Amino acid sequence: MVKELNISPVGRVEGDLDVKVYIENGVVTRAHTQAAMFRGFEKIMQGKDPQSGLIVTPRICGICGGSHLYCASSALDTAWKTQLPPNALLLRAIGQATETIQSIPRWFYAIFATDMANKKFANKPLYQEVAKRFSAYVGTSFQTGVVASGRPVEVYALFGGQWPHSSYMIPGGVMCAPTLKDITRAHAIMNQFRNDWLEKVWLGCSIERYLQIKSWDDMMAWVEENESQRNSDLGLFIRAGLQFGLDKFGQGVGKFLAYGTYLHKDKYNRPTIEGRNEALISSSGFFDGKNYHVFDHKQVMEHVKHSWYADVPASHPWDEPMPTPLPSQNLMETKFDGKYSWAKAPRYMGYSAEAGPLARVVMNANPANKSHQIQDPLFGDIIQKLGPSVFTRVLGRMHEAPRLYEFINQWLTQIDLDAEFYIKPQEIDGQGFGATEAARGALAHWIEIEGGVIKNYQVIAPTTWNVGPNDEQGNPGPIEAALTGIEIEDPHDPVEVGIVARSFDSCLVCTVHAHNGKNGEKLKSFKL
Amino acid sequence: MANVLWLQGGACSGNTMSFLNAEEPTVIELVTDFGVNILWHPSVGLEIGEQVTDLMNDLIKGKKQLDIFVFEGSIVQGPNNTGTMNYFCDRPMKDWVKELAAVAAYTVAIGDCATWGGIPAVPPNPSESTGMQFHKQKLGGFLGANYKSKGGLPVINIPGCPAHPDWITQILVAISTGRIKDVLIDEYHRPKTFFTDFVQTGCPNVNNFAQKIDGHFGKRGGCLFYEVGCRGPMTRASCNRILWNRQSSKTRVNHPCLGCTEPGFPHHDLVKGSVFKSLKYLGFLPQDVPTGEGRLKYYIRAGWEKILPTNKALKETSK
Repeated sequence: MVKELNISPVGRVEGDLDVKVYIENGVVTRAHTQAAMFRGFEKIMQGKDPQSGLIVTPRICGICGGSHLYCASSALDTAWKTQLPPNALLLRAIGQATETIQSIPRWFYAIFATDMANKKFANKPLYQEVAKRFSAYVGTSFQTGVVASGRPVEVYALFGGQWPHSSYMIPGGVMCAPTLKDITRAHAIMNQFRNDWLEKVWLGCSIERYLQIKSWDDMMAWVEENESQRNSDLGLFIRAGLQFGLDKFGQGVGKFLAYGTYLHKDKYNRPTIEGRNEALISSSGFFDGKNYHVFDHKQVMEHVKHSWYADVPASHPWDEPMPTPLPSQNLMETKFDGKYSWAKAPRYMGYSAEAGPLARVVMNANPANKSHQIQDPLFGDIIQKLGPSVFTRVLGRMHEAPRLYEFINQWLTQIDLDAEFYIKPQEIDGQGFGATEAARGALAHWIEIEGGVIKNYQVIAPTTWNVGPNDEQGNPGPIEAALTGIEIEDPHDPVEVGIVARSFDSCLVCTVHAHNGKNGEKLKSFKL
Repeated sequence: MANVLWLQGGACSGNTMSFLNAEEPTVIELVTDFGVNILWHPSVGLEIGEQVTDLMNDLIKGKKQLDIFVFEGSIVQGPNNTGTMNYFCDRPMKDWVKELAAVAAYTVAIGDCATWGGIPAVPPNPSESTGMQFHKQKLGGFLGANYKSKGGLPVINIPGCPAHPDWITQILVAISTGRIKDVLIDEYHRPKTFFTDFVQTGCPNVNNFAQKIDGHFGKRGGCLFYEVGCRGPMTRASCNRILWNRQSSKTRVNHPCLGCTEPGFPHHDLVKGSVFKSLKYLGFLPQDVPTGEGRLKYYIRAGWEKILPTNKALKETSK
């Protein structure tokens, strides 16, 4: 017999995610994700000052505000054909990296690992130890991890003034002109982050030792190398994750998309859309499960057949008409063969693709990466040996912390206090594209400026990739696919659904946020 | 001991992220040392699905006491006042808010969206968003001008985009430790203790403001009021007294104050020419002048300063 289970809200994702699953003999046979909130930010920007995105888009998402800012400033850079001094590219990369590394312990302890302390796993041998460390609030690592997560964004604040919600990245560079004091302090804060959490609690070894791991066999050997590594939070996560079977569910679509990020200080001084791929330090690409493809933003299309907007053919963001919102329903009353989410369904080359840290580390393993790009074969090997799952997704995200720590320190040393931070640009009409990797994956903005105001602004957030509904052909989004096949033990506490959704680090505020609203009235013209 | 329920409407979760940065006390110390009992929170709550619905129904029926109702994000009323653009636990969020606010001992709006509508309420306001008890500068909002919580206060507004973590934690502690009577609120229902001084108080560029020395992006020194739209003299908030993330503030890193603790943010509704530019009359007179100062009086005072030679020592900067 098929049972339907409605879960509203799923919780501990940013924003409201509702899920409907169909269960047969305890196994999910079909799943639908519903993004349940609409704000219409893109519509708000239409007709406004071209720089509005610098203020508005970080506020689409309080957890990825720096990433939105990275995109908004880049989109204007390409539209206005600015020049960027190396210092500006370094300080933007530092902002992006500190936001992402902040999210790593915050997400792991506050959002994800508390589920490993759920009673579902109580009969597993490692459960006692997991519950002791990872239980919400009282876990011995919980407070350490959550408090440590505030440190990297102190570095963001040194250059951006505050986190979240700064607008310090602007077309042509950055607002700030730091001094020696700021650089020294930033190094010291990052060192504290390493000493308090990254090496001491998370790795149980030096960053240098950890980064020698190049394959899954290396990783397993690392765990057993000594007590310190075995008993570190990472060591415990790997042992318990495998014991609890987190590697056995939540596979998803097995195709990955990354826009890449961290534009190299000397390779993007004349920003163009065409020159972006080559300038990235963390590379972009599409991995179809077997082969890597070069990223081209023109391959992105958004589908609305199952979204609460009037039907239009799937189209590229620059060509998308302003969608008209339609009446929505609550989860119980929604007809899932029709429209059922405020999220649209983006597709790359027609495919549903997973965005996120796992996609990034898969791109980092691309043998075609250049010498200035990350070359790290580890997750090429892990995807082959283990395949995607909740476990590999978490491991991929956590794997970024040591490398980001090294990058931030390296970039800080490269800032030239005597050189420029900003080159004032000419404001012109045109089209722009800016992209990055938010902590939770591929984020991009498309802008069109006409008559000195915004004509069109489109945002596709990483969670839109992951949580989006079925496309025109009826193919599920990555989370819908990842939920299919999971076993639900207790329908009153469907923790398995939460674990899968949280392994994607879903951020519904971004997803829902960003879609265009109803056709607004004509805006008043501005008078001084 | 105080039971806290924290919900999000048309929100970006930015205030939650800011709250998680709290120090002295940290969020965890708030729970373990200050008797703040977080019943549920969207980012850190353990319950999912019908468990959350049951909790809210228990609070509304009085089976469980709701001491502090915290709301983050705008009240989404669209389309056509149905609120169905923001469902939560199978009902429009606004319906939950109305019922929970009616049983709460204290209701606290956190961030600009919850206090006065924030960015979602910028024209054309596609989601028909409003604040809990204000719509921009106007008293009323969703709950109405006469709303008072059971504790006898209107919605306590903690604005900011986002609110500073100290503003949030100190109000939660004041309520849970019985010191709410020490919290005075101003005409916009903001706690005066945080929102009496201006952002300019403690700004390192205040001498440059007095001497009319302009600042610019990517340069050290100078005041951002004249050219790039800094709202420090018009914005009440303690940003430069308590600092952000323990390190800095917008104006300390050459970032103009956006005026985000005042109703009406984003100011001038983002019209062309208003973003990171100071609006001018006749091409040189600032359209916005310091709060409390008449335009003419300010122009005379500032004009006098402008024609006097500046103190060259104040123009010196160093890397």
